[in-house]
Parts: sequence; C-alpha cells; structure tokens
Amino acid sequence: MYFKGINSYGDRGLVLDFGNETSKSISQEVNEAFLNISNLNLQSLNIIPSFNKIVVIFENSKIRDQNKDKISMKMKDTNPQTNKKVTKTWEIPACYNEDFALDIKIIQKLHKITKEEVINLHSSIRYYTYYIGFMPGFPYLGDVPSQLITPRLATPRVKIPARSIGIAKNHTCIYPKVSPGGWNIIGQIPFDIFDLQSSYPSLFLPGDEVKFYSVSLSEFEKIRKYNFSLNELIKEYSS
Amino acid sequence: MNSIIITRAGTHSTIQDFGRFQYQHLGVSPSGAMDQRIITELQKIIPNHQNQFLEFAYVGPSIKVKEGSVKICVGGNCNMSIQKNNNSQLECQPYKSINLFEGDELIIHNTIDSVYGYIAFEHGLGLEPCLNSYSTDTKAGIGSINRPLNDKDIFHISKDVSSWDLISIPKPDLEKVTNFKVYPGPQLQYFSDNTLQSFISGVFTITNQSDRMGIRLKGESLISSQSHDILSEGILPGSIQVPSDGQPIVLMRDIPCTGGYPKIAILNEVDISRISQLPPETKITFDLQTIY
Repeated sequence: MYFKGINSYGDRGLVLDFGNETSKSISQEVNEAFLNISNLNLQSLNIIPSFNKIVVIFENSKIRDQNKDKISMKMKDTNPQTNKKVTKTWEIPACYNEDFALDIKIIQKLHKITKEEVINLHSSIRYYTYYIGFMPGFPYLGDVPSQLITPRLATPRVKIPARSIGIAKNHTCIYPKVSPGGWNIIGQIPFDIFDLQSSYPSLFLPGDEVKFYSVSLSEFEKIRKYNFSLNELIKEYSS
Repeated sequence: MNSIIITRAGTHSTIQDFGRFQYQHLGVSPSGAMDQRIITELQKIIPNHQNQFLEFAYVGPSIKVKEGSVKICVGGNCNMSIQKNNNSQLECQPYKSINLFEGDELIIHNTIDSVYGYIAFEHGLGLEPCLNSYSTDTKAGIGSINRPLNDKDIFHISKDVSSWDLISIPKPDLEKVTNFKVYPGPQLQYFSDNTLQSFISGVFTITNQSDRMGIRLKGESLISSQSHDILSEGILPGSIQVPSDGQPIVLMRDIPCTGGYPKIAILNEVDISRISQLPPETKITFDLQTIY
C-alpha cells in the first residue's frame, strides 16, 4: 500500500496522495483506486488519476464533504479486489522512417547508439499506460529502456505532427493531434487514437499495456489508407 | 424554420454551457462559460435555452435574423442596439428578452468595464452535444462547434417563438471584486513564509496575456523554496500555479487537464466567474484562508 491519505484541494476538490515517488506498482495502485472510486458512482464532476495522485472534483464544498467519507471507507476496504481485469494490451504499428523521426538523432548522439538500436530498444518493451493527460487521449507510457532516457527539447516544437511518437525523460507518448510540445519525436503511428464520435473516445485507458512494432513506410501507408474507426482498432490491435 | 446569421463574429465568440464533465481523466478539459453567474441569470428569462449560450469577449457579435423570428436575451454589461428591418434603430438592454423578426439585426458593440457577455436563444441554436456538452474548447478542437464562431455562420432554430411576451429581471448585482479569498493550494508548502507574505500583501496586475485557459498576473515574484517542476497531477479551474519565473497564473475554464507547476492557492467557484470579468491592468489582491 502506497496510499498516504486524503487532502483538501480548495473548497471543492480532494487529492488522494500516494507519495512522491513514481513507479509502475504505485501507478497500478492509483489506477485500481481510480476504478474503485469511479464504481462508487459519487456525485463527482471529474476523477483524475496521475502518476501518484488522484484528484476528485465536486460541484461545491457541501457535496465534497458528503462524499469524502465514502472515498475514505473505500480506500480502507481491505477485501480482495473484485475488479475484473479491464485493462487491454495493444500491439501498435510504428513507423520510425526518417520523415517522421524528427529528433531520433538527438537520442542517437546522447547515448552513442545507432538508429536501429533506438528502434529495437523502443519496440522491445511492453509499456504501461500511467495515465491520460496533457491533451485529449494523450497516453503517458513507460518506462523506456535506460539507453533511451532523454530530456525534453530545450526549445519546444510549435507544431508536432498528429500521431507522432515521442520520448521525454523515462516516458514515451503518442500525440493524438497536432500540438505544440517538447518531447523528442522518433516516429509516427498510422491511425488516430482519439475520436469524439466513439462512445469510448480514447483508445488507451489508464493501466493499458502498449507494445510498438516497427513497420516500413509502405506498410504504414497501407494501414493509414484503411482509415480504421476506434471500434475496428479495438478488434484489430488489442489482445 | 427560423434561422439567424452571424454578420460579425467578434474575436472570441464561442458556444458555452455549464461545462463538460466526466472526461478529464481522458485529457478533456471541463470548459464552460467563463462567468457562470450570468448564464444562471439568463435561465430565468429564457428557461428553454437548451444549454446553448453564445459567449463573447470585449467586442460583441452582430446577429441578423435570416428567416422567421427568434426570442433572445443578452446578459452581461454591454452596449447594444437593434437595427430593425425598416432601418430604424431600437434601444435595448441586457436581462430583458427581445423578439427579433426577419431582417432585424442585433448589434452588440462591446462589453463595458468587464470582459464576457452572453446571449441565450429560446430553443437553443439547433446544435448537437459533443461528449455531453455544448461547450467549445478551441485549443483541443472539441465542441458542438469545435472552433470560435465565424462571420456568416448560420444557425437553424426549428421551433417557433413560444410567446411574444417580454420578460425582464432586475440587473443582477454582479459586484466587482478585486480582493479574492483563496484557499491553500496542494503545494502551498513549496513556498517560504516570506514568499507567502509577498503573496498576501502584494498587488498583482492582470495582464493582456489572459484567455479562457488562464489569467496571467504580474507582480511580486513568488519563487518556490523547493521546485517549480512537480510531477504532473490533476488540476481544477481557479488554481493559482506558479511557473519558474515566479509570476502566478490563475487557471480558468479551458485548463490543461494535468499540470506540472506548484499551486500556491485556489479560488472558490464563484470567484472564478468574478475574476474572469476583470480587464487587463486591473489590480487585485489575495487573502489566504487557513480553513479547508
């Protein structure tokens, strides 16, 4: 148990504190608690998990105070978890072609490795989805192998192409849409991962596992042309 | 069928409601009207507003009835007039319903000593919700209309005006507040007692780098004794975050969903509406409450 306690956040928020460290096991506890609290069907406006915190937001202080004990009780509940495994494992095609790998040379230079080594290392790991944030559908994945850990760009890019794969510190990500940002871009995936028309707008959810596999430019273009909907993607790429 | 055309959109006109909730864990901001007091008042005059309010800032929009007739009401503090279809000018006031007929044009010139104003339309604007809300988040490209309004946008209102009766309410007392009670933020302890003293006794000026996402303040530099870089965590509107230049930012309705700057304090809900109406150069102060 990493859970430390519940603090107030202004007049209408609560912060569930899981300490100051980050790790997959802390995140797993956070995401388990996120599911448990979501299942309480509280009158909350938003429940936001991150690396080691969960923020719960209510309409006003009265509703917040009425619900605080229910959350406390749930967090103290030591009964074996009844959550079914709802997380998915994804096999995601990634094209590391130089047209897309805008910053791969920075990583090669920093760690004195070849482009092929960057690709092999990046696609060797089954990443864990810590949480979704920064922009709609943006997954914080980790951890990257130590030979790929790279700081953010000194000057953030104004326009990162949609579907780009990035690395910053020990995390990797996918930008769902065109966006400014400071991650080192090493490739691109061939389909959209956030769709407002879908009843589940984000392909990835906290706790999901993601593994990239390298595809050629022609394979990338073939998949891109297919124009998958999110529902088709779930069938095709989850296991 | 009744329809209206936007003859002048203004610079910051968007569709808003009370906010988009239950999606922040997927990276979707709550958005919603900057000054929620005003749309709450407008509900009394146009009960059947369908949650599709037009928000404008500084320069208001002009709206012409293309077909049929519509009932509307404007909220906020603004200069406005109606150019009738027979070319006569008509005086009009906020918080009083208005019947507009084919060819009539409502012209909202500007907001007075405030920032945001709103228009409620009887039966709404014929829009479909997006993730259970009509609000537009222009940065994320989410909304019934996923961008600011443009000149020549047309809206169809299928139902006819329910009655020609005009309703008005007394102008609500939306007092101008410049001293804000704030509560401790999750990283209050990142700031030394001296810095907290500067925060409480200092005067901060609202800068023109302020929008629906945040209000940037200029004043005493609030340097953290620990770090200005924390692990990203969930945030809520009204939070006062302090990046490494020490100049605080009040996060508003289109917040990023998680943030990596320490939050020294947080405003209560009604004060988010109040602070949204303060134009650049307004000087404000903070009063730190110890309870909560």
